[in-house]
Formats: sequence, structure tokens, C-alpha cells
Amino acid sequence: MRSAASTFFILSGEALADATRRRITPVVAVVSVLSLMAVDGCTGCASSFVENGQEIDPTQIAGYSGTLLFTVLALWTCVLAGILASDHLVEPLADGSAALILGRPVGRSAFALARLAGVLAITFVTGLTLLGVTAFLLSARHDLPIDASVLAGVAAAVGWVIVAALSMLASLLLPRIAVAMLVLVGVGSIASVNLVAQLGGTLTGLPFLIDQWGPPLASAVIAALSPWIAPAQAFGSGTELALRLSAWAIGSSAALLVAVRRIEIGR
Amino acid sequence: MHAAELRGVTRRYGRRLALDDVSFAIPPGRSFGLLGPNGAGKTTALRLLLGFARPSSGEVRLRGLPPTRSAARQRVGYLPESAKLPARMRVDRFLRLHARLAGLSGAEIGREVDAGLELTGISDRAKETIGSLSKGLAQRVAFAQAFLGRPELLLLDEPTSGLDPLGMRDAREWLDAARQRGASVLMSSHVLSEVERACDDVAILNEGRIVASGPLEELVEPGETLEDLFVRVVRG
Repeated sequence: MRSAASTFFILSGEALADATRRRITPVVAVVSVLSLMAVDGCTGCASSFVENGQEIDPTQIAGYSGTLLFTVLALWTCVLAGILASDHLVEPLADGSAALILGRPVGRSAFALARLAGVLAITFVTGLTLLGVTAFLLSARHDLPIDASVLAGVAAAVGWVIVAALSMLASLLLPRIAVAMLVLVGVGSIASVNLVAQLGGTLTGLPFLIDQWGPPLASAVIAALSPWIAPAQAFGSGTELALRLSAWAIGSSAALLVAVRRIEIGR
Repeated sequence: MHAAELRGVTRRYGRRLALDDVSFAIPPGRSFGLLGPNGAGKTTALRLLLGFARPSSGEVRLRGLPPTRSAARQRVGYLPESAKLPARMRVDRFLRLHARLAGLSGAEIGREVDAGLELTGISDRAKETIGSLSKGLAQRVAFAQAFLGRPELLLLDEPTSGLDPLGMRDAREWLDAARQRGASVLMSSHVLSEVERACDDVAILNEGRIVASGPLEELVEPGETLEDLFVRVVRG
């Protein structure tokens, strides 16, 4: 019998091929190209900024605009991961095609992780292209240190895992449209409270809890990009954010596996 | 060790009793027909055997192991009712994927895939996408995947669904060939004439309970067909 790892790699290849055959993939490619064109325009702008009657060198605010641009793209790819994941596992389970796979000596965990890997492969290619080109242009045109963007890229990638795993988990319980809405509202809400907190706003109640205990999808990216912003500001503990991000990635993936092991196939 | 076994299995879906204290066993090399009207619990029994669902009580064994263990499904060929195959995938790639998942490797994969295509008469459609095939041809592809790796046990849910009379005759020959090399077969079907030809033993389910079971020649009375038996035990 094949090892679980070998089965996982076979299924991951198929899950990736399946993801690339989907109609949404060309749309993602077109949107990515348009995004890159927008990024090229944004990073190449030379508008004049005036404060108290004095013109400010655009490079002085490049750190802020670069951070904003990079964070928006990181969050956009989080949404992409969530949308792609919203039916990538549940569709084969619902239409019965998964039953043929799971009728083989294949563990449910390997199957679910492979479907997750298929979604993440598409997201990684898209995200790394978008974030990589953005980081390169910001570095080349505005001298923003590229090592900060590498760290921010890693934070974004962990965010993709969290959102995709949670989206797949939700898709086992909710219809696809509800999951897609949940992804949009969830990522948007987390990003909003993270941003308010980073700007020094006061949060109470649920927004405070989301910022303090939720997946720091935007906070972690902004904190990683803090060297771009001068003078340096306090963006929370990088270690605490990294640990929280990792805990959410492990927790959401584990929750997905537990749920997949418990569901009934083909009913 | 039985190829497959249900011991005192009860399965509830909410208040509905899908299976009620059901027991049967398939000895190695035997061919077993699971019969019953719609909703009798046949597909539930197959899903329990594959570990797709868990019994509310009782014990299920597949090749001597709990079916939730993936090792239990080693050398098991499964053909679900109205098998949904990936429409955008090519026939040969689909079969190669299943050959690999069945544990085959290297040259074995190509050999088994070619043999499956040849056996089911779809060699000339190997490079086409499954979605472009008719229902009958897609069912042949599903049969080909079930036979990959020379399974010791075949679990077939309404296997002749979608096949024309020629396809049904071919399916009978494929099953005969599998039985001749010693494979055990569990077939759930409405086509009683097929079961009568292909099976050694039968169990008839009605409303979740087994109302008749045993070797076919012992159950069917002289001058009676399997259909007569079915009507007699189901209608009481």
C-alpha cells in the first residue's frame, strides 16, 4: 500500500490540475494582470504632495503608500484563497466523485489536505507574483528595503492557509454563496479592525477581541513592513503576531481535518 | 476471514431506521447479491462497508479490518451507483490516477490501464475527456477503474445502470472473469435477472431489515424465479 505522503502527492497533483481546469482560474489570471498594471502605475506615480504650503518629496510618503498597497494585495489574495477553497473540497464530496477516490486506500486527511494544497498552489503563484513584483518595484523605484517585503510575504502566505482552511471548513456546513460572503466579510472585518488598531484607534467589544485573538491577517503584514515607515512606529510584538498567525494556521487546518474525518460521504 | 461482513448493524438517520440489525457475510470467492426495493438500505450497507458512514450500532468489517482504516480498502474495486466521473479529465489520465491510488507503480500502471481499456472496449476513447462520452461509455470507464489492480473484492452499486443490452452482456462477462480469478463480489441491483446469473448468495432487504438471505438455489423454490421470490418476501 502507498504511504500517506505518496498518496498526498498524487492527490495534490490532481487537485492542482483540477483547480487549473476551473473557469475561475483564467479570471484570476486576468485580474492579476490588471492588478500588476495598477501596481506599476501606483509605484511609478510622481504626483506632488503639499503640506502647509510646502511640497513634499513623494519618496517620503512611499513607505506609507507602499505598505498600504502591499497590504491590500495580501488581503486580496487572502480573499482569492477563500473563494477558491469555498467549493474545491465540497464539490467532489457533493457530486460523488470523491467517493471513487475515497473508495481506494486513501485516507480522508490526505484527500482534504491535497484539495487544500491545490487551492494554495494557485494562490501562491498568484500571490507571489503580485507581491513579488510589487516589492521589486517599490524597492527599485522608492528604495524600500526588500527584506521587509519577504517577511510580509511569508505572513501573507500563512494568512492564505488560514483563510483557505477556514473556507473549506465552512463549506462543509454552508452553501457556497454563504461561504464566499463569509470570506469577504471575514477578511474585510479583520483587516478593518487590524488597521484601526495599527493607526492607534481604540477598539472595544467584538472588534477588540477580533484584533487581539483573531488571525492577524493585516496586522502581521503591516508589522513586517514597519521598516518602510519612518519614523518607526510601534506595531505590536512581531513575535506575538507570528505565533498567533502560526497557531491559527495549525488550528484551522486541524479543524478542517477533524471535520472531514467526521462527515459522511455520499449522502 | 470474510471479504466483507456486517454483524448486527443498525443505522439510523435521525428517526428513520435505514438498517435494522442487519447481518451478512461474503466468504472469499463468493458472489453476493444485495436486493431490495428503493430505500431498503442497500446503498447504506455499501457506504458502511466502505467506511463512508458509521453504524449506529453493530460491527462492520472489510477484508477483516474496520472500513475506516484505509488499508481495508486495499485491493477493493468500487463502482458507485451513477458514478460521477470528472468530466474535464481524459479517460486515460483518470484511469492512471486510480491505478496509482490503487497502489500500482511503474510499468504496472500502463499495463493495467491498457488492460482495463481493452476489457471494457474503450481503448479508442482513451484520449477523450470523460465529459464527451455517452452515459453508457462513461459507465464503461467506471467499470474499468473498478477492475484496476485486480481487486480481491468488488463492491458494485447498480453496476449495469446506464448500460445498453450489449453493455450489460459485456458487464456480465467482466464479472465472470473476475470471479474466475477468485474475486469476491457484492452487487446491489434492481436487475434481478443479472443477480440471478451472477450471484451465488443473495440477501433481500426491505425497510432496513433482511427478509431473506442464503444461497440462491436454497431460497428460490422449484418453478420460481428470483423475481417471484423477491415479490413473495417483500410483499409478505
